[in-house]
Amino acid sequence: LPMAFRDVNARRHIGLQQLSSLALAGRTLLGPMKSCKFIVDESTNQSTLICSALRLIESLDLTSAAGQLLNETIQAQNKEFKTGMSTLLFLVGAWSNAVLECLQQNVPVSAIVSVMSEGLNSCCERVQCLQISIHDVNKELCSSSVRPNTFKSVTCQIGHDCLLNPQIFLYFQKEISAPEVIPMNSCSHQEDDCNFNKCLASSLGGFGSIASLVKPVGDKSTSVISGSGVIASSCNKQKLTHSRYFSTIAKSRFSSQQDNFQGYLSGQPADPCECYGLGHLAMTLSHGNQTSMKLLQSIVAYQQERAECSGSSQLNIAEIVTCCLLGLPESYSCVSPGFVTLVSPEQATVIKYFEDKPLRILLMDGDLTEQYRHLGFNRSCNVRTILEHPSLQEGRAGDLWLNSMLDILISFEVNLVLVKGKVCENLMERCIANTILVIGSVTRDVLCAFGEVTSAQPVTYLTQLNTSCVGSGAYAELWKACDGRAMDLGELVPIRIKVRGIPLLTAVLTTAVASKMQLIEDQFWTLVYRLHHALNDKKVFLGGGAVELLCLSHVQMLANKNAVKDFHNPWLAAPATEYKSVVLQALASGWKQYLSVVMCNTAKAASELEACTSVDYHLKKAADCGSPSAYILKEFRRDDLLGGGFGPFIDHREGLKVYDNVTAKTEAWRRALDLVLLVLQTDAEIITGPKRKQLLNSHVSSEFMFL
Amino acid sequence: MSRLEAKKPPLFISEPLTKDAVSQSLSLLSGILKSCYGPAGRLKQLHNGMGGYVCTTSQSSAILGRLSVSHPVLSVLTASVQNHISRFSDCGLFTAILCCSLIENFKSLNVAPCTVLKISKHLLSLCMDYLKSEACGCRVSVDFSSVETLLCLVRSVLTSKPACMLNKPEVDHLTTLILKAFMFTVPCHVETNAVLGKCVIVPVKGRRVADSTVLPGLLIETTEIHLANPLTVKRTCSNLVKVALFCVSMAGDLSNPEEGTITVHHGISLEMLELNQLLNIGKQLVSDEVGLVVCQKVIHPSLKQYLKENHVIALDRAGLCLMEPLSQMTGSKPIASIHLLSPSCYGSLKDVSIESFASKHFVHLIPKDTVVCSLILCNRNETAWDELKRACETAEHVLQLTIKEPLALLGGGCTETHLASYIRHKSCSLSASSFKDMDCSRTQYQLVADGFCRSLESVACSLNHDGGEILTDTVYGHCWFVPSGFPSVSNWSDLVSKCGCGINGNTENLNWRLLQGQFGSPVIQGCPEAPSVKVVDFLTLDCFVAKCSGLQVALETANLILDLSYVIEDQN
Repeated sequence: LPMAFRDVNARRHIGLQQLSSLALAGRTLLGPMKSCKFIVDESTNQSTLICSALRLIESLDLTSAAGQLLNETIQAQNKEFKTGMSTLLFLVGAWSNAVLECLQQNVPVSAIVSVMSEGLNSCCERVQCLQISIHDVNKELCSSSVRPNTFKSVTCQIGHDCLLNPQIFLYFQKEISAPEVIPMNSCSHQEDDCNFNKCLASSLGGFGSIASLVKPVGDKSTSVISGSGVIASSCNKQKLTHSRYFSTIAKSRFSSQQDNFQGYLSGQPADPCECYGLGHLAMTLSHGNQTSMKLLQSIVAYQQERAECSGSSQLNIAEIVTCCLLGLPESYSCVSPGFVTLVSPEQATVIKYFEDKPLRILLMDGDLTEQYRHLGFNRSCNVRTILEHPSLQEGRAGDLWLNSMLDILISFEVNLVLVKGKVCENLMERCIANTILVIGSVTRDVLCAFGEVTSAQPVTYLTQLNTSCVGSGAYAELWKACDGRAMDLGELVPIRIKVRGIPLLTAVLTTAVASKMQLIEDQFWTLVYRLHHALNDKKVFLGGGAVELLCLSHVQMLANKNAVKDFHNPWLAAPATEYKSVVLQALASGWKQYLSVVMCNTAKAASELEACTSVDYHLKKAADCGSPSAYILKEFRRDDLLGGGFGPFIDHREGLKVYDNVTAKTEAWRRALDLVLLVLQTDAEIITGPKRKQLLNSHVSSEFMFL
Repeated sequence: MSRLEAKKPPLFISEPLTKDAVSQSLSLLSGILKSCYGPAGRLKQLHNGMGGYVCTTSQSSAILGRLSVSHPVLSVLTASVQNHISRFSDCGLFTAILCCSLIENFKSLNVAPCTVLKISKHLLSLCMDYLKSEACGCRVSVDFSSVETLLCLVRSVLTSKPACMLNKPEVDHLTTLILKAFMFTVPCHVETNAVLGKCVIVPVKGRRVADSTVLPGLLIETTEIHLANPLTVKRTCSNLVKVALFCVSMAGDLSNPEEGTITVHHGISLEMLELNQLLNIGKQLVSDEVGLVVCQKVIHPSLKQYLKENHVIALDRAGLCLMEPLSQMTGSKPIASIHLLSPSCYGSLKDVSIESFASKHFVHLIPKDTVVCSLILCNRNETAWDELKRACETAEHVLQLTIKEPLALLGGGCTETHLASYIRHKSCSLSASSFKDMDCSRTQYQLVADGFCRSLESVACSLNHDGGEILTDTVYGHCWFVPSGFPSVSNWSDLVSKCGCGINGNTENLNWRLLQGQFGSPVIQGCPEAPSVKVVDFLTLDCFVAKCSGLQVALETANLILDLSYVIEDQN
């Protein structure tokens, strides 16, 4: 009967070894400088490019129980935070190794479990002093913006993919529907620094739906900003006096273009820190991911402008969608208000007939097929239909359905149908012929957003339709790239649907390399969620290894201090004190390896040995100084910690700090330790089901006992 | 053409317990269960070996539920333990380990099975009488006017399941929540026969344990995109929300399509007919001023649309397990037909609101006075959540059992060692007439009693998983633990700090001795005393009713198995 039983050898714990070897593959994915990996399937010779722990784990073979649990843990962290998975994976490996060493030294399991989890708890409390509130991060920006050099050096260094300067105060106007072409050469001659000009222009591109193609002034051609949804319009002069570059540019360009820009100022926010804050915060959390950061800053600026009246500085994730366009260079990535999606060329032809007409929109929350029934509907199979007087005039049943559905759509004058599920192909064809655009596989959030602004009510069947269900005021157009040309990417065409006042934003992600698409999308969402969690936590950790370094120094202090904790449970307490120092060292080794691997990955250290020496140096200095947290804080302010932060901004010591999420980080630690301890405490696998018979007859049957 | 095969004769196995395979399997099972026992117990990964879900657990309910054993002797054992678990939730491992130990110990005695049976029954009755007497030194009475003992009971259940992966603050948080949830289920106005309400566990996986919370009333998950955020609900003149509860599917499919064929004429749509019937029901609900419609199954989108247009909130897919608490809470009778609606079926609610946890949205049904509550239970990953859910259910059940019999037994092995020393003391002072009644000699009685005591003590020893020594004291008969790595000759009083249950500290000389390794020379000792201190915080306590039943079940099952002389296996 189905049950096999395997003893997990206590000293050389199989489960922990499996965890450690799985985690080893993720070492290069740690830190801001990740090395991508190709995962090759030997049977098919297909390969995928991965650059995150999540995708790595997804592509590995995880039939072992420990592997399954690791997968489950990584997925759970991803579902909850979308960040911290690489940290989790790495610490699982590091702590598994450390625990294996404890076992070698005959430390009892219960001692490892209780000391390690108490130790982590204590660390999480200790590192609270390295949290700073979002408000303070913003203040820091204000104080640093008095030094314009900071931003100048950053923006110019990065060149074309420049940072969006949060000092530019931008307002957007949503009503312009036709693309506009703004000649820029009229003003650009005033500025000699063409490198800078480029920066500014593309930062504008980042802000709106527009991307920009700006040619150097030298070659006399027209620089163009094109776009249709939002245009940067006006500047807050008072703020801009901090920087001579912005004030001159802004005045000369925007004042001369008043007619085109119809800009408006909607009143000045009370606290200037709040309004720039999110963009800056996004930058500090981006850890050097320029493309995503630019997009996120555009989103933040747009959402903030909308929320100005309510005064909330929250990021609404439900109002962000992504659209992946393959075949365009990465610099074409931008944010478009409204909903950008890919449709077939036939569907795209319908758009031409729409012109600039407002569309009547219908939302459907199921499939649009004849066979579709709402979930939970049981089809009865024992119904027989008889036809007593057959007549040849009636067409087939399928046509009947098609005709009646089409009649409904036409009678309600619907132009645009957004469907959550699949769409019947025949109906789609007929709709195209009747200039009705039907788009399938639209997510719930998108339907919601359209429902809110068009007052359309989602229906499940077309037969449910009444006039109150149909919304109005939607516009559809072909999505145009930054250089103004409509895209035809072969099989699929990007289109944009918008409604006046719709909060929905689409991040259009572009790349010419197919295998990078997933990676870019993942990175974008990671950053979005980092900002989201920072706002939820209302605080961030000092980044760049500061937190881990404090944990290290704290654990070492705990190990030396022989404080006996009063455990109330005698079955867990007694062995703890004796082995405390060994186990705490094991806990510390996880963070130490973390720091040294990140330093190696970011090329701050040539070897792990060198990195370890550097960590030890800081630890000693911290211990000598009496208050490790004060030391770390000081070094962080000076950007002198572990070779100057982990970000790519090595040359810009001032102004650009690196921050991490609080909850996501501590939760990643906790989940990693929980997994290691869960596997550590497991002494047997019990295999049930049909696999047991295979085991009984296989060569490994001696490893198993059968009940 | 069919081929007939001769029936195989059934297989007779005599004296099954003497067979090697059986005793091997039995000791393997006993080993697995012993290794799971207690707060330091080892976990088991139960999985199908092909990459499916992995259940990490040390709970008997999960292990025995998934384990299928090959031998009838083992099946008898697992079946009776599972039966115990289904009735009491707690003390499953205790029962199973004790049963295995009893079989092992009794089997090795050179005493006729029928004599063992008689003597052990006598021993059991000694135990039960002692446990139920006021003089019992290993039980505490539970005072419902203070929460301390109740918290101890719940905490002991949670800490004995290490796969829940809780740290100390999390244990404290959940302990309070579980007790709070239990308090919600106790009715405020007690009539002649009070019925406890129900606590429904709402899963929110992936979150921190500290995010768990408890709410009065019920939560129904909804994915409806039409639900606007501030919920406006139609109220009756008494400012209550009228509720209709349907347990029949309102999906608009044919209700009874099991047998036979329905023949319809072309052009007649059964679906349309069903839908019209549903819309008629909808009309009646609207005219009866119903504010909230809850359906166990699915509601047809058209009906939902109709109800929404008439400002009635419609919730579907409530699920079977919510039906009973729903009807208890709202006072409505579940409606089982879409053809007949009696206004007497309706119930009422105080309010309805929207609650969100993680990415899930719930409609919160708030009753007038509640005996129903929802425990929103969070844990970081699936396998730990499942374990935590089982532990929480056990804890709730333990509290329910305790309210009926307000007693608790000292945990941490102390009840077992205390009982063992009580039986040792009693068996020495038994009168000769008792032996005559049992038809046995004093030596036989002593042998069986010693086996019984050693079985009890071996359960206490199973709490130890990392080496070290188990001691007992001769004053209270409690169980003490000394970690490994100390020379066994040293003075025990230097090494012990607290007894297993935590009631006794190392304050006086209690004359400790090793629990194991004194075979053959049972120490003659006095009757163990009850500890002088009665109320201490952070005691390890076990459920009285569950443990008493466990003791009985273990002994009776062991006797049954020892008494097996034939196994007849049908080979066809």
